[in-house]
Amino acid sequence: MKPDNRLLTILALLAGLLFLSPVLYSIWMSFQTATAYYTGGFEFTLDNYGRAIGQYNFARYLFNSLLVSGLVTLIGITVATMAAFAFARFDFPGGNLMFGAVVATLMIPSHISLIPNYLTLAGVGLLDTYAGLILPAISNGFAAFFLRQYIRGIPRALDEAAYMDGATPLKVLWRVIVPLARPAILSMGLYIFITEWNSYIWPLVAVGDQDLYTLQVGLARLYRINPGEGPIDWPLVMAASTITLLPVIAGFVLVERHLVRGITMGAVK
Amino acid sequence: MSGIELRDIRKSYAGGPEVLHGVSMRIEPGEFIVIVGPSGCGKSTLLRLIAGLESCREGDILIDGKRANQLAPQDRDIAMIFQNYALYPHMTVRENIAFGLELRGMPKAQRHARADSVAATLQLTPYLGRKPGALSGGQRQRVAMGRAMARNSSTFLMDEPLSNLDNALRVAMRTEIKDLHRQLGATMIYVTHDQTEALSLADRIAVMKDGHLQQFDTPEAIYDRPQNRFVASFLGMPTMNFLPAEKLSERLGNSTRLVGLRPEMLHVELDKPLGPALPAKIVLSEMTGSDIIVHCETPAGRVTVVTARKHLPRGTGDCWISYDLDDALFFDGETGNRVEAAA
Repeated sequence: MKPDNRLLTILALLAGLLFLSPVLYSIWMSFQTATAYYTGGFEFTLDNYGRAIGQYNFARYLFNSLLVSGLVTLIGITVATMAAFAFARFDFPGGNLMFGAVVATLMIPSHISLIPNYLTLAGVGLLDTYAGLILPAISNGFAAFFLRQYIRGIPRALDEAAYMDGATPLKVLWRVIVPLARPAILSMGLYIFITEWNSYIWPLVAVGDQDLYTLQVGLARLYRINPGEGPIDWPLVMAASTITLLPVIAGFVLVERHLVRGITMGAVK
Repeated sequence: MSGIELRDIRKSYAGGPEVLHGVSMRIEPGEFIVIVGPSGCGKSTLLRLIAGLESCREGDILIDGKRANQLAPQDRDIAMIFQNYALYPHMTVRENIAFGLELRGMPKAQRHARADSVAATLQLTPYLGRKPGALSGGQRQRVAMGRAMARNSSTFLMDEPLSNLDNALRVAMRTEIKDLHRQLGATMIYVTHDQTEALSLADRIAVMKDGHLQQFDTPEAIYDRPQNRFVASFLGMPTMNFLPAEKLSERLGNSTRLVGLRPEMLHVELDKPLGPALPAKIVLSEMTGSDIIVHCETPAGRVTVVTARKHLPRGTGDCWISYDLDDALFFDGETGNRVEAAA
């Protein structure tokens, strides 16, 4: 639908620019030298990106973030989809109780589980490993709950038709449920990816080895480089921020259509 | 072709009352059986038990003489057509028809050839590349039939497959289903609440009410010799007239029996006939085409008569309803069971 009021269009554009202004400002800032920034001038440079990637190891952090967020998303969405299918379609002893437990996890602040998770992973020797970053995040109660509700909306007769056609429960899930729940699964996938990408506290606690730092931990450390030796190098920090931001924007653009459909599903018949 | 036997099937849902109370029937290979009854009588539940989509609390389901209670649906060699067709919306018509073959490991070229052949039989060839959302109700119904046919199953279960179609299409598809049964020779079990479908399609009809099998017999036997008042009233349109026996004939005495007379066995006469007749007043007449349905008030109660339109002008007025007790059925006034005339 196109707005028919020119004033409304201009106001909407201004509002959009207002929301985007911090991002646009940080990108603009990332292309100038620190000297020019502090003297109020402008001098274009790509050096901040070069230093962030080379000198400050952001290429490694980017790889770590992509690996950890990618695997958490892949494993997390698989686990959540299978759990949702079981909760939506099978009656088994304790099923309702288990689903209640899953929903209850949504009400527990994540920081409460920080110390138990730390002690557990320390106990099994998984601190300072990729597994230590990934495993605590693969179970996502919200995704399981959301997908269960979505799957319950898919007619059960489709499952039954597939069983009559000769499908096993796993085939029904893979060939019937997953294709039909794709908008919801992709929406949840993006949600898990963004949540994990932005995760800061757990990677900070679970990892001491700099080679396992994720972007968020690396970015926070940029503020603390050379403390007491002059002002913070904001153009460098903004270049690192832009590197952190770009994959999320790219991911959003890729699945935006499905994400919007996922959010609005059920709103209209 | 598979023979199916149900022995004393009882079914109840968790925490709920029993919905099937010991249903038994034996279905011969290649038979076309229609299970008919009002909503909630347990007919669809019975079909789902045969399919293996639900399990019974007691009783045995035998397929080809072997107990099949514990067999998964995919191991029963049964195809099913659902009321809402249950076509996979993300697959094309060809993929829908071939899906069962794919799950059985048939190579792609073979299963597509089979799907194309089935589609040609059902006149679906132009739609093979379309998804169900782009098909009409009748075309979807055909795809559902094609999906069942592709697997060459020995038994077909159909759960009110025509209930979502308009009347003209329903009549056309009824003929196609009958033709299909003749071609395939498979055992077919068809659930409906539509008596016309039941009478026109079935080799034998199972009439159900409240989880009980009322009668299991040929359409002619069910229509002409219903076992009880429910069966007599459920099949036949308009429904059978039930009149107190003592009001029709003195020789029937003070019996508590009810006399069942089908509307087409009664005649509306403007002048008093020589034979037995009831004085009547026409209160309503409905034109149905070649026939007219006449509703009359008589001393024995409300009576419905079907007669050829040319025999009676539309309208209201006094008349006589003539009948022949040789055509009548007699029912026990208390149990509702049919009894012999002389009883």
